[in-house]
Amino acid sequence: MTRPATSRGQLPESWRVELPVFEGPLDLLLHLVRVNQVEIADIPVATVCDQFHEYLQLMDELNLDIAAEYIFEAAQLIYLKSRLLLPRPRDGQPADGEDPRQELVERLLEYRRIKDAAQSLAEIDGIRHGIMTRPWQRLPADADEGLDLGEVSLFDLLGALKEVLVRYDREHPEPLHLSRESFRVRDQFERLLAALEDDRPVDLLDDLRRLSCRAEAVAAFLAVLELARLSLVRFHQTAGGELLLFRTERQLQAHELEAIEG
Amino acid sequence: MSRRAEMEATLEAMLFASPEAVPRDRLLASFEEGEREEAAEALAAVCARYAAAPERGVVAEEVAGGLRLVTRPDLHGALRRFFELSGRSRLSMAGLETLAIVAYRQPITAPEIQELRGVNPAGVLGTLLERRLVKIAGRKPVVGKPFLYRTTREFLMHFGLESLDDLPPLEEFEELVGELQTAAEAPEE
Repeated sequence: MTRPATSRGQLPESWRVELPVFEGPLDLLLHLVRVNQVEIADIPVATVCDQFHEYLQLMDELNLDIAAEYIFEAAQLIYLKSRLLLPRPRDGQPADGEDPRQELVERLLEYRRIKDAAQSLAEIDGIRHGIMTRPWQRLPADADEGLDLGEVSLFDLLGALKEVLVRYDREHPEPLHLSRESFRVRDQFERLLAALEDDRPVDLLDDLRRLSCRAEAVAAFLAVLELARLSLVRFHQTAGGELLLFRTERQLQAHELEAIEG
Repeated sequence: MSRRAEMEATLEAMLFASPEAVPRDRLLASFEEGEREEAAEALAAVCARYAAAPERGVVAEEVAGGLRLVTRPDLHGALRRFFELSGRSRLSMAGLETLAIVAYRQPITAPEIQELRGVNPAGVLGTLLERRLVKIAGRKPVVGKPFLYRTTREFLMHFGLESLDDLPPLEEFEELVGELQTAAEAPEE
């Protein structure tokens, strides 16, 4: 048996609901006006509002997604209904001389006009969608622009291809590959040691500033820490805030250099 | 071959070879000024020859300000089978309503369309743009600078309209609105 047990044919009769398809909240409103057999201008707001909500409730029970537009329209209807419930001035005329339903009525009339226009378009579309035309084609080239292929030799073609390739290369130069720089603490260690060799002090901040990038500066700073740990340098801070590095008497041992991170 | 016969043959060939609707004036401009009047008659004769008739598969139609030769619409079933084409998807009601709004109220923005239909038109507009029935024609100089939509030449061609003035009139409804407005104004007196 291929049909699953829950197939449509076995659902209880009461589950089946016939729902007209609406193109939106205004379409639903038009439908309600029609089923109530009234003119749009005389729209019974209270009745239509209740029916609109009943419809939304039905959609909800059927687990249909209710688009936000319907909820917006439902809120508008409740607002309108509440305005109509407000007591009117004694003379029986609304205070502002305007029917609160006016805006809704105008929107519905405009929407009905659009629906009718869409209906006309649908009818035309129904007839004309069967028309076929010549697909877009290039017209035969003008005689002036015509090519005499007899005069083109294989070498002309090759020459043209070469020209195209050269131009392509010129317009699409090889991307510039930048290799990733890595900086080793040991290199910086040796560089600083060499710089300090002649008993000349090194201005640390100035030295770090001259380096190419942050990674190199970090490596150099770690190297300075190593130098200090091994008592190979001492620091001196000047009144101006410069940090000067001086070489001590101590000699670097080979295994100490080995131990420094590569 | 008489001059008149030659003219008709030339015009027929021009229509046949043209990939889109050609304005009448452009067809006639290819003849000497002194011959234009006769050429116009010749063109009318060609059009009459291509008027819809039971034995005609190709007909001339005036659309989007030009003339073109097309297949007769009701032959599409046989043609689709011949070219092994699947049926082109038709426009949905939502699409047609949105198209009608753009056609009658252009240029118009998406929020204005939503106001009229009560539904967000974004998806439908996408389909209409894809099918080149509407186009974006600039932005409206208001907050958010929304796009303005217009119908295209393709729209005129698809619906067989010479120009936008050819759209089916909505007068009776305009009148109804007019009456309604007078009725609404009456209580103020």
